[in-house]
Parts: sequence; C-alpha cells; structure tokens
Amino acid sequence: MTLSNRGCGRTRRSFLADTGLGFTGLALGAMMFRDKARADQTPPDGRPHFAPKAKNVIWIFMCGGVSHLESFDPKLELNRYHGRNIADTPYAEAAQRERNDIIGGNPNHGNRRVLMGLATGVTRHGKSGLLVGDWWRHTGARADDIAVVRSMWTTHNDHGAMLQYHTGRHPREGPFPTIGSWTCYGLGTLNQNLPEYVVLGMPPGDCCGGEWAHGSGYLGPEFAGVRLNPESTDPLPYVRPLQGRSTEQQQSELSLLGRLNSLAGIDYPHDPQLRARIRAYELAYGMQTEVPETFAFDREPAHIRELYGMTGGPTVRFGRQCLAARRLVERGVRFVQLFHGGGGGGEWDAHSGIRANHGRLSSEVDRPIAGLLTDLKQRGMLDETLVVWGTEFGRSPGAEGGDGRDHHPQAFCAWLAGGGIKGGVIHGQTDPIGFHSVGGRHYVTDIHATVLHQLGLDPQRLEIPGRQRLAIDRGRPIMEIIA
Amino acid sequence: MIRLSFRLVGRVSRPVLGRGTGHTPRRDGSGDPFYKRSACWATARRQCAFALMVMIVLSPLASARPPYKRDLGNYLGTFLPAAVNDCRLCHLPDDGDEHPHNAFGKRMRQIGNQLRAAGDENDIPTRLEKISAEDADGDGVSNILEILSGHLPGDANDVPTAAELESAAAKLTAFRRVMPTYRWRPYTPVAAPSVPKVDGPWGQNPIDAFLADEHRKRDLTPRPEADRTTLLRRVTHDLTGLPPTPEELHAFLSDSSPSAYDNVVDRLVASPRYGERWGRHWMDVWRYSDAAGWTAGNQIRDSHPHVWRWRDWIVDSLNADKGYDQMIIEMLAGDEVAPDDPDIVRATGYLVRNYKMLSREKWLQDTVDHTMLAFQATTMACAKCHDHFFDPHTQEEYYRLRAVFEPHKVRIDRVPGQVDTKIDGLSRVFDAEPAAKTFLLIRGDDRFPDKTPLEPGVPKNLGGTFKVEPVPLTDGAIRPDRRPGVIRDLLKSANDAVARAEKAKAKAAGDKAAIAELELAAASAERDSLKAVLAVEQIEQAGKKSGPDWEQAAKDASAAQRAKAVAAAKLAVAQAKGDAKKLPAAEKALASAEQAAQAPASTVFQRRDVKEYPTISTGRRLAFARWLADEQNPLTARVAVNHIWLRHFGQAIVPGVFDFGKNGRLPTHPALLDHLAAELMKSGWKMKPLHRQIVTSRAYRQASTPEAGNLKIDPDNVYVWRMSPRRLEAEAIRDQLLFVSGQLDLTMGGPDIDHTAGMKIFRRSLYFRTAAERQMEFLTLFNVANVNECYERKEAISPQQALALYNNPLVADMARRLAGQLPETAGAYVTAAFERILARAPTENERTECLAYLEGGDVRRQRESLLVVLFNHHEFASLR
Repeated sequence: MTLSNRGCGRTRRSFLADTGLGFTGLALGAMMFRDKARADQTPPDGRPHFAPKAKNVIWIFMCGGVSHLESFDPKLELNRYHGRNIADTPYAEAAQRERNDIIGGNPNHGNRRVLMGLATGVTRHGKSGLLVGDWWRHTGARADDIAVVRSMWTTHNDHGAMLQYHTGRHPREGPFPTIGSWTCYGLGTLNQNLPEYVVLGMPPGDCCGGEWAHGSGYLGPEFAGVRLNPESTDPLPYVRPLQGRSTEQQQSELSLLGRLNSLAGIDYPHDPQLRARIRAYELAYGMQTEVPETFAFDREPAHIRELYGMTGGPTVRFGRQCLAARRLVERGVRFVQLFHGGGGGGEWDAHSGIRANHGRLSSEVDRPIAGLLTDLKQRGMLDETLVVWGTEFGRSPGAEGGDGRDHHPQAFCAWLAGGGIKGGVIHGQTDPIGFHSVGGRHYVTDIHATVLHQLGLDPQRLEIPGRQRLAIDRGRPIMEIIA
Repeated sequence: MIRLSFRLVGRVSRPVLGRGTGHTPRRDGSGDPFYKRSACWATARRQCAFALMVMIVLSPLASARPPYKRDLGNYLGTFLPAAVNDCRLCHLPDDGDEHPHNAFGKRMRQIGNQLRAAGDENDIPTRLEKISAEDADGDGVSNILEILSGHLPGDANDVPTAAELESAAAKLTAFRRVMPTYRWRPYTPVAAPSVPKVDGPWGQNPIDAFLADEHRKRDLTPRPEADRTTLLRRVTHDLTGLPPTPEELHAFLSDSSPSAYDNVVDRLVASPRYGERWGRHWMDVWRYSDAAGWTAGNQIRDSHPHVWRWRDWIVDSLNADKGYDQMIIEMLAGDEVAPDDPDIVRATGYLVRNYKMLSREKWLQDTVDHTMLAFQATTMACAKCHDHFFDPHTQEEYYRLRAVFEPHKVRIDRVPGQVDTKIDGLSRVFDAEPAAKTFLLIRGDDRFPDKTPLEPGVPKNLGGTFKVEPVPLTDGAIRPDRRPGVIRDLLKSANDAVARAEKAKAKAAGDKAAIAELELAAASAERDSLKAVLAVEQIEQAGKKSGPDWEQAAKDASAAQRAKAVAAAKLAVAQAKGDAKKLPAAEKALASAEQAAQAPASTVFQRRDVKEYPTISTGRRLAFARWLADEQNPLTARVAVNHIWLRHFGQAIVPGVFDFGKNGRLPTHPALLDHLAAELMKSGWKMKPLHRQIVTSRAYRQASTPEAGNLKIDPDNVYVWRMSPRRLEAEAIRDQLLFVSGQLDLTMGGPDIDHTAGMKIFRRSLYFRTAAERQMEFLTLFNVANVNECYERKEAISPQQALALYNNPLVADMARRLAGQLPETAGAYVTAAFERILARAPTENERTECLAYLEGGDVRRQRESLLVVLFNHHEFASLR
C-alpha cells in the first residue's frame, strides 16, 4: 500500500506535519491511513467530538475472573444460607433462570447449587457506605472516589471472555479492535517520545485472547497496544541502543542518515513516506531514552514507592506497574493497559480454594491500586485520568468442590474513577445472592462507551471506512455515573 | 429526520421480513439469541455499509434503493453536487412511510421500464443518459444541467440562476470528456475489449494504450522512463523479492541492446525466487497459516501441522507456471482429482488451513466466506443471515455453497520415511461425511436450522454450470495405512528398533547387560509380531479371509503377539526391580502374559489400527472448483489480475480487492482490467506472461518522481501517471538485509522454521512459522500479513521499525560481515556499499558526505557505521 497515492498528499494534516505542530511520524503515518476515507464514512480527525473530561485512561484488568461476591458486590445472604442448596432458599428461582444467551457452563465443574458463604469479611466504606470485601480494603478506602457498576454481564462462560471484555466480541469471532485502539484511533497521540497505547503486565494466554486482548483488529497495527515490560532491561523491542554505540556515534550516524535521506529526496519534494520515515527516526531516537527513563523508578521518592507497595512484600511487582502507569500518563501516553494475573486462563480463576487464591492475589494488587488512586489525586491528575478496574466475569454464588467458585458471566462488577466520573456511586444491582444482574444491566461495551464519552468521543460516530460496526460494539455510556 | 429516514429506507429482503423483524439486539439480552446474531454480523461486517442500518430501521414500504443512489454517485463522481446527492433527487420529501417519486423519479422509472422491455441495459447511468436532455419538471432547464448546477430536476420551483447554468454547462463539457465509456459488468463473462488507438510509444503495449487513453482525457502527462538503476531494482524486487546484485546492475547498465530489459525480465521470472516472492503474495490472499493453538494444553486449534507442504506447493506451482485454473482445482479438490498424488493432494492445505477445533460452524463459515472473497471478491458472508442487500445473492445460495464443503474434514496421512504423523505427515482434506446434510440457518443462527436440506450449488447470478459427480477413490486414499510405502516404513521402523537394541546390547555391561538383552528381545518380538500381522493382511488382500493359509497366518500372528506381550512384560519386570511400588504390578502382568501364552493356539489376534475412509468423495468441491476455474465465470480472472496488478503498482484497478459487488468501489480502468483478465485466460491462465506484459509496459517503467501539474489534477495517482513509490514488505526488508550482506540461505521449502529464530537462521522469511500469535517479531513490526485476513497489506512507517533496524544486533552484524567484503580504498568502498545495499551508485553529493564520514574516526568503526546508516536509509526499505 502506498501512502502517497492513498493519502491525500497535500492535506491539512501534512501541512500540520510540515509546520511541526506536534504531529509525530507515528501519528502522521496513522493519519495517512485515515485519509483513505470513503465518501459515506467519516473517520475521526484526531479531535474529540465534544469537550472531553478525561485525557488519559488507565485500564486495570484482573485475569481469570474476580469474585464479585467477595469484592465490590458482597452478598451477606450467602453467609445466611451457606451450605444450603439454592433450591431450598427463597432464591430458588434464580438458578432456574439459566440464561440462554450465555454459552453453557462447564458440566465438569459440578452443579454449583450449594451456596457458599463469603470467604472474606466485609466492611462499609466512605460516605456512600460502599460494602466491600476485606480483601479490597485499601481500594474500599477510596470509595468516595470511585463509581462501582454492579450489574455487568457478558456472554462467554470461559476465559475467552477476557478478549470479549476488551473487544466486545465473542472470542470465536476473532480479533477486533480493543477499547485502547479505538481510543488512539479516535484521538491520536499526546506525546513525542512514547507509543500512544502501552500495555503492562502479562496479557491473557493464547487460549483466551492473547495479544488480541490489546490488539487493534482491523484498525491496523499502528493502533495496537505496545507491550512495555518494566521488569526487563529491554522494555520495548530494540529500544536499547546497541552496546558500544556511544551517544556521539548515534548522533553522527543519525545526522548522516538525515543528510543522505534529504539528498535522496531531492527528486521527491513533499514525499509523505520520506517525511514519515524521518519523523519515525526522530521519535525512535527519543524513545531510546524516554522509555527507560519512564521506568527509572528510583527517581521517585521513598514515600511514593511506599504508597504503591514497592518497598517489599507481595505488592512489589504490581506496584511497579501501577507507578509505571502513572509515569506513562504523565508523559502523555493516552491509554495504559495493566494486566494482572495473565497467562493461560488467568490466575484469578479460583475453581477451588478461593480463600487462598483470592487472598493471595488481592494482597498483590489492592494496595498498589489504592496507592495509584491516592497518588493521582494528590497530584491533581485524577481529574483528567480515568481509571477503570475490571475482570472478565464474576464467580458463582454456589460452591464448586466445596471451597471454590465457578465462572459466572451472569453478573459481575467493574469500577471507574476520575476523569469526570462521580465518586461514591453504586450503579446497578444484582439479586440478593448475586446470581443475576437485575437493575440497569450493562454489557461490557457500555464501559467502553463510558470511557470514550469521557474522552470526548461519541461511540456512535467512531467509524472506519470499509467496516461496519454493530450496535453491540459501540455500547452506551453509563450516564448515571458521569458527573 | 426526513433525510435520515430516507437514507435508511432500503430494499427489504424477503427472508428478513419472513423471519421476523426483531433485528435490533435487545440491550438487556434477555432471552434473545443476542450473541448468535452478533456473531453472524461480525463476519458479514465487510463493507456491509447501510445493510445494518436497513435492518435496524426496517421500513416495509421501501421505495428507494441505496445502490441506486450509489450508482448515481459512481457515475457522476465529483460532478455530482452534494446538494442533489440525496434521495430528493428522485423522491418527494418524506410523507409518512411513503416516498413517492417526483417528476424526475417517475421519468427515470418509466425510461427504465421501456429499456427493459426492449431488452436493453437499463441501469441508472443508461437511464440518466437517455433523459439527460429532457426537462422532467418542465421548468425550462434540462435534467442534466439542473443536476450539475445542484438543483432538483424533479422540482419545477427549484431552478438554477443564470450564473449557475453557465457553470453547469462548463461542467457538462468537462464531464462529457471523462465520463465512463466502458461499462463495468463484473457479473458478465469477460470479453476482451478493443484496445484504444494511441499513437507513439504508448500505443504498443495494450496496457499503456488503456492508461494513455485516460491520461489524454484528463490532461495528464505520464512521467518519462525511470533511470535504469531504479528500474532494475524495482523489477528485480517486484519479481523476486530481492534486489539486484552489483554484477547484475553493471551487466544491465552496459547492455545497450534493445532487448536488455526484456532479457532481465525473462531471467527474473525464470528464477526460483519468483515463486517465493509471488508465493508469499498469494499466501496473503489464501490466508496461509501454520498451526496455532494452546501450547500448554497441546491442542491444535487453528490450521494444522505440516501445512507447510501447501506453501511449498504454492511456490512450486508458481515457478512451474501452472495455470491459475489448475491451481484452484488442486487447492479445492486435489484429493478428488488426484487421490494418489501427494504432490497435488498437499494443495488442499488451502482448505486445511480453515480448521477450527473450537467450532465447526466457524470452520465452515470461514471456508465459504474467504473462498468467495479470495476467488470471487464477493462478500458472500453478508448472505449468511439474509439475502445480500447489494449483490444478487440469496441466503439460500449461501447455504448451497456451504453444502459444497459440508462433507469435508481434515486428516493427516503418513508420508514416506516417517510413521509418526506428529513428526511429519500430509495434512489434507477428504469427504469424511459424504451424506452430511446442510440446512439454511434461520437468521444465520445455528440453533435454528430450516427443515429442508439443501443441495450444493453456486450463486445463480454468477452463471456457469455446476455439476456434481461422485468421485470413486483409490485404495491408497481409502486405506492410506495399507499403502506399500507405509508398510515398508513400519517394517523399517521396527527393524531400526531391533538394530538399535542390538547396538545397545553390544555396548552394555554389568547390570545393564541383562536389561539390554531383554530390550532386544522385546524389540525383536515387536517386529515379529508386526510381520505376522502384515502376513495376514497380505493374504486377506488377495481375497482370502478363511481357509488353512489364513488360519495358519492368523495363528502365527496370535502367537507372535503373545510372545511380544511376554517379552514386554519381562522387560517391565526387570526395569521395575528395586522399585517396590511398581514391581508387584509388573510381576502380575508377566504372570498373566505367560499364562496367556500357554493358552491353546487361536486365530484371534489384534489387528493393525488401519483407518478406513469413505470409498467415494462427493465431487462437490471438484464441481465447485471447476465452476470457479471456468472461463465463463465472470469474476475469477478479473479478481486474480486485480490482485496481481495491486502488487505490481501498489494500487489495485478495483480498489478494495475483496469486493467486486455493488457495495465495493468502482474500477479506475474497467476496460484494462477486462483486457488483462482476457489475456490471463488466453494464455491458459498462466501468470508469467501476464507479469511480463505488465513489467514491460511503459506505465510500469515510468519514473516515480512527482510532477506538479499532474499532482494538481490527480494527486492520488489514480490514473497512473507515475509509478507510485512504495514501502517494501516485511519479508523483503529482512531478506534483503541478509542478501546484500551475502548471508541469505537460499535453501527452498521444508517445515516451518521457529518464528523466534528469525534473527539467527538466515533462510528466506516465508519459510518461518506464521500463525496467530506466532509470527516473527521483526516482521510484525513491519506489518506482516495478519493470518486471519490480509487481502491487501497496510504498510505503515513507524518508530518501532526505526528501532528494529537501528538497534538490531543483526543489522550491526550484517554491517560487520559486509564491511569485510568491500574494497579497501575509501572511494571504492562507498561505491560498493551503495551498490550492494541500495543497488545504485552514489551521487557526487552522497559520495562527498560519505567520504567525509569515513574520515570521522576509527576506520573500521566508521566503515561499519556507514553501512548501518545505509541499512536505515529510506530507500533501503522502499521501492522507487
């Protein structure tokens, strides 16, 4: 595909690029694709559709399925009817209403009819009196900053739902653009030296979405999430300068490259490809230092590292990711995706021993997440940074094997904070045993729509030529939680 | 809302109405087959613009068809003013659900009916032409002038001003000059159009004549021929995926004969590199994918192991210049046309690739959808849930196509020299269930099949004949494990085991000697048992299933198997010695094996596990393939040449190579496309003559440098007034890096190479594994084909690519290796470096820059560093 003959060589955009108005090579290349508009569809032009509330997104995702019952939607009725068959409780009807829009449960996981009491204590937090499982007490303490959506549902009953959570499509439909890629496609980049869409942590395994969970489907590779690894000395492929190549040598090489490219471009005035390449090298040069600098956590004061739990204990790893997310947002990264417990079907998949499983995993993430909210707030960044917490589905009110809980797509929860979201709000509800979402049910793309809305994008107007989007892909913003 | 409701009015298709109108996904998902529908829409998404809107706001009283409006826009192009690009052109404003025609609309319908009655073309352009000079609303201004001035020809109160009229008249003159004169009829069999008469050099090659005709209409001046070095690099990369060597460059530059370029082209299409280069292109279109799945669970979820044999078939077929028609037949029905020829059966990897462990539905869906996209550029997927909204294909026809593939499944046959199909084998298709029935799925939902089974068939509007005749299969295909070669391999494998045991025994001493002895005994017994079983098979194959010979052989087999069990059990006991846990069980097993061996002789024995497959294949796929590969099929050749053109020029003649339907985009040069399609078929569907005709055209040989006047008229180079500069594909960049450094290993074919070894193994890129999530990182950074769908690559230029070339140890390594091969003196070094890496000599300015650079420090470092810079040069990753 030729950029020059597909893109409109002499448009407003190349003019902007020529005059250096903050358009990088990456964005330039991306925008040239957007120029291939068909008359009847209007791709975004990089500006919001209306005044945005948020500029950046930190999207935190727990892989494997966090129990809604023991996190942000605790059900004390389960303690009351612990050990009783659901048929012998007032809620017998719930189990008879197995939903036919959900791909069937796995019969190997038992019948999950015997209710199991909560495996953790519960506490009310904040002015709203948000009831939260004690595994999440630090996050609970931020109750007045967050809006919990308790009425989520999805259709896939296995961990492919992780992919579905990010694309809105059942995994067997293949890769589709994820929410992060739509964001970048709609708005473009905010920075000069870093990718627009950064992924931290291990994505789901290849059974369950894999790289697609932060991919860009038909939007094209330039909108896919770029994985950076804060744990590694090589956080991005080939980002480290080669050993033995000094800064002076780099500069003299790149400067010779620039001169040779200009000489070779004499017969090609205003060649958008050549311009894109020159800018790509400028951005690449910046990334070599910017990416490692972003992950230079030792530049943070001790009390900040402490806040994220980076000084010791189970929180170190995820704390590092949360702090990296903040530092990326500070540097203008539009969308930061954090995965926790990725690989395979996800670590949170507590078919047995939920007390040990969720107890351990929440101890890794609860403090760092609360620390991130606190830190963003104290820096005034929470106003423009939208934090989203989610997981692919909830877990069953009935026990699996006595001490575990099975997948439960009928009901689960998510929460949002900052970026113009109301704090201290509980939206939607489940029945008293947390089996079904009953009030104001939301499919996963409603979260996407809410994020886009806060960024100033109307999901109904987000189009790409040659592709037909479905109503279900776009979702609807959850207006009840928007300030 | 008037405009909106107008827009949404669509042709209402019968099945949609007949099967309920609840097409809007209910947001609460309560009890509705929500997911299933969305799944269907997902695959139908491609370019189904409007279709969905039509479904959402169903208006049973439809009167305007969006395709009509689109036709109008296609015909008038930029001459159609926005003000009348509207349903109001033909219809009165919304009046409830009725949208009656205005005076112009009525006349359009009337003339349409007249034309139809006379058996003439009655499409929108024809109708418009016929009545363009008329004045439908009687306001004194002709229809065409009203339209061009942005006023409604059906509204007497809407009249252009004098000034508007004047400019409309000028527009009309301009439009008459460029208006399409050749009818694009993608559903009519190809007929070679007459070649426009063009004087001078552009009149020699028909390709040029067609293009020059459009240049002339638009006042475009084609660019002169590119300089010879640029041209040589362009054509060499284009046909082989590699740059020319300095020797080839010098030879070409010093060859002043008129046939110098033609000779180069002949040399290139004859090179085995051609098959690799164009094989990779067709692998994009045919969705090549190695096996993918869940590694930890050891599950193959997509495609199949050993599918690389199909890749090798692609390369071999292209190099042999096998006809495209034959290639289609072999890929879709190789197992039916040549059941005993693994060289042809491997072509069915095309179908094998669609295997989906998790869903047979999706497997068949992908097969139908992508076959129709790849060979017919038809978005058949739209018709999975309802009749196609734009193209003349019904939902029933979708399922008739599915019925073509319904019986087929995938299996792995043994290949010579390897009895374990996990290690190697031939992944292929076969009709596993010849009687499998296909039902129309109501609204595409597999939970709601219709009642009547459907016979296989092809879309009626694509014409042709489709005749299914069952294909009787050969013994080798029915019982592949009985093939003599397989039996030889089994015996060899058993003999090898004995020989290995003998060797081990000779070396073993002490305690191990006893074990080695027993291992040898077990291996020998295993071999004897195999031989005895094979002996029975042999007698049975001669037709004897009883009688003294058979009885004796069966008894021998039984005895050999008993002996084998005893030998194995003895070995197990010896191995379990000292293991208190295992020993008792092993001893018990030995006792029972020995007891069994004492039993009276018997003819009961364990038969070899020989799979038996159906004795006939339905012939459905063969019938379908023959229908596709028929010269009367209107789309096959057109679609193929469009793909070829795209990859030579960087832009297709029909933009959107996968949709030749109403909802796709119109060709820029329909007559040229038809000419090329006719040429392809005339040459027996051989591609090499077509490549030759294209790359020897003046159009192809033009310079790619821009020109201000042309840019103003045609900034996007739609009319090919220059060659478009392009970025090289991912594979070409990597291969070129290795090649110019003298390190590329040109070994051809074989099993897919681990995709993580791409920076260490220097084979050509197409031989590395490529599957969902299993692609070489370096290639993915350069936008390698998505294995699920890539009818046209999208080559971006990104900073990650800059990092991958600049900070890549491989690039530094290649620079080091290449530096050692270049001349000592600085001047010669610079020239050689440019010639090797960029396939051209440096200009004087470049030479000056580089010579100064070489003196900028340590000689060796500067020399290597200069090469690194050239590897990062814009031209290195581009074609000009």
